[in-house]
Amino acid sequence: MSHAFAIDIFIRVFLFAFIGVAWNLLGGYAQQLSLGHAAYFGLGAYTSTLLLIRAGVSPWIGMVAGGVVAALASLPIGALCFRLRGPYFAIATIGTAQTLMLLFLKFRDFAWGAVGTTIPNLGNSPWMMQFAAKAAYYYIALGLLALGLAVTYWVERSWMGYYLVAVGEDQAAAEAVGVNVPRIKRDIYLISAFLTGLAGTFYTQYIYFIDPNTAFSFNISVEAALVSIVGGIGTLWGPVLGSVLLEPASALAQSWLGGGAHAGVQLALYAVILIVVILWRPTGLLGALTAAYDRIVRAAPAGGPASDGTGILGTGPTVRKGLPLDG
Amino acid sequence: MAEALVVRGLSKRFGGLRAVHDLSFSVPEGQTVALIGPNGAGKTTSFNLITGYYRPDAGSALAFGQELVGLYPYDVCARGLARTFQVARPFGRMTVLANVMTGALLRDRRVTAARERARKAIDFVGLSAKENSPARELSTIDQRRLEVARALATEPRLLLLDEAMAGLNHTEIDQAVGLVKQLSQRGLTIVIVEHVMRAIMAVAQHIVVLDHGQKIAEGSPKEVAENPEVIRAYLGSGGAR
Repeated sequence: MSHAFAIDIFIRVFLFAFIGVAWNLLGGYAQQLSLGHAAYFGLGAYTSTLLLIRAGVSPWIGMVAGGVVAALASLPIGALCFRLRGPYFAIATIGTAQTLMLLFLKFRDFAWGAVGTTIPNLGNSPWMMQFAAKAAYYYIALGLLALGLAVTYWVERSWMGYYLVAVGEDQAAAEAVGVNVPRIKRDIYLISAFLTGLAGTFYTQYIYFIDPNTAFSFNISVEAALVSIVGGIGTLWGPVLGSVLLEPASALAQSWLGGGAHAGVQLALYAVILIVVILWRPTGLLGALTAAYDRIVRAAPAGGPASDGTGILGTGPTVRKGLPLDG
Repeated sequence: MAEALVVRGLSKRFGGLRAVHDLSFSVPEGQTVALIGPNGAGKTTSFNLITGYYRPDAGSALAFGQELVGLYPYDVCARGLARTFQVARPFGRMTVLANVMTGALLRDRRVTAARERARKAIDFVGLSAKENSPARELSTIDQRRLEVARALATEPRLLLLDEAMAGLNHTEIDQAVGLVKQLSQRGLTIVIVEHVMRAIMAVAQHIVVLDHGQKIAEGSPKEVAENPEVIRAYLGSGGAR
């Protein structure tokens, strides 16, 4: 395995961990199962690329602009989709990403249509987010992941964390204790979309290419949800664990089987993993590890050390709990 | 005495069913008022109309002089009305403490301050020993206690209890009655929907009787218990012969 290939895998791991972390704020803590985060990934990617090619704006600025565009787009999309619950919400979000993909395919004059465009290669130009050394991309991806984790850490420990989990558990009961459910959903969707937009810019700069099928790919939406669900939804480190596990596996599968004839293999692999996790351990791997830790460490003297009561979620025996799709 | 809650002409239809029809009653500040009636009389529907879960077809509900109709449930709660549900709805994955903190965060967004106040509410309902248990693991009575604590943590001026004592045994009912009386002594106004007559007689100063969505009687516990209309509603016309 070459050095460059290893770095590429690390970059993918960090990138999808970051997208998963962004997804997890809405999909994990508030249990609003979005399958349309590619919408924000694509909007972020197109915003920075359009600014770069049409106006020579640095992708660093374009990245923030892309995040803002994604965040703003989440407002009308959320206003429409949050009217729906459970699986209907998930289906509506798929529709938003697909609609955006079709729009970008149709309007050729605006953004190159189906052929897409390459990012002009300027050699080593840090201000234009282009680097001769692949390691630079590694650090950017790591930085994005750190940002996502810091945001999640802050949200989880603030009032928002309590409100989000309450919304995920029972919206009517949350409203009874004063939680403005529409507002908190809107706010967390905004943050989640902003972060996902940043990932879109980074990815385009990394692969030097953009087209609607890549930028708004359903794969992006699925992986965002998948790394979180496999790792453990509604937890700080769940999406990271999920990405560490899934991304190398999918990269290896791709390199062994090649694209072309086996194009669907990756999705099939995801489907199998998802089914296994949902049937066997719906709380994800982190849930399984926590349960094992509780059995071994806490079981010893009369329940072991008492919790300090700072966590939102109860520990103790892990009860099988369905995914948000159950309603 | 000032009125905490004034309900005027509240009506709600579900298709052909008149769930609540032209309901009027008022709750003076500091009193405990019970809403009673046979199953399907419209008690829970009235709660849902007052607290913003349903939109009434007609009528108004004023709390401390302000209109509640048209508000969302979270706004109703912010105005100082907290409710519990007939079937307890704890946030199952959260600990008892986190459940109650979620209520406490309404008045103060600082987590540490909310934790302090949540602990007081948990202590009041007697759940302190279980504050770190996930709510889903609590027994039915403990889930009801939790719901009362969570509602109290929002610092209400008016508490609406929807059949908080259903399914409890005698000792537990006595405990619950004690709790309601203590809250009342602290000056909290309480509206209680209940089937357990023994509990109602013990806590309510005033009783409103509903049948088929309409008010058929109201008065002191003694007046209501002797009202022939009420006896007919509960026992059917055969029983009143």
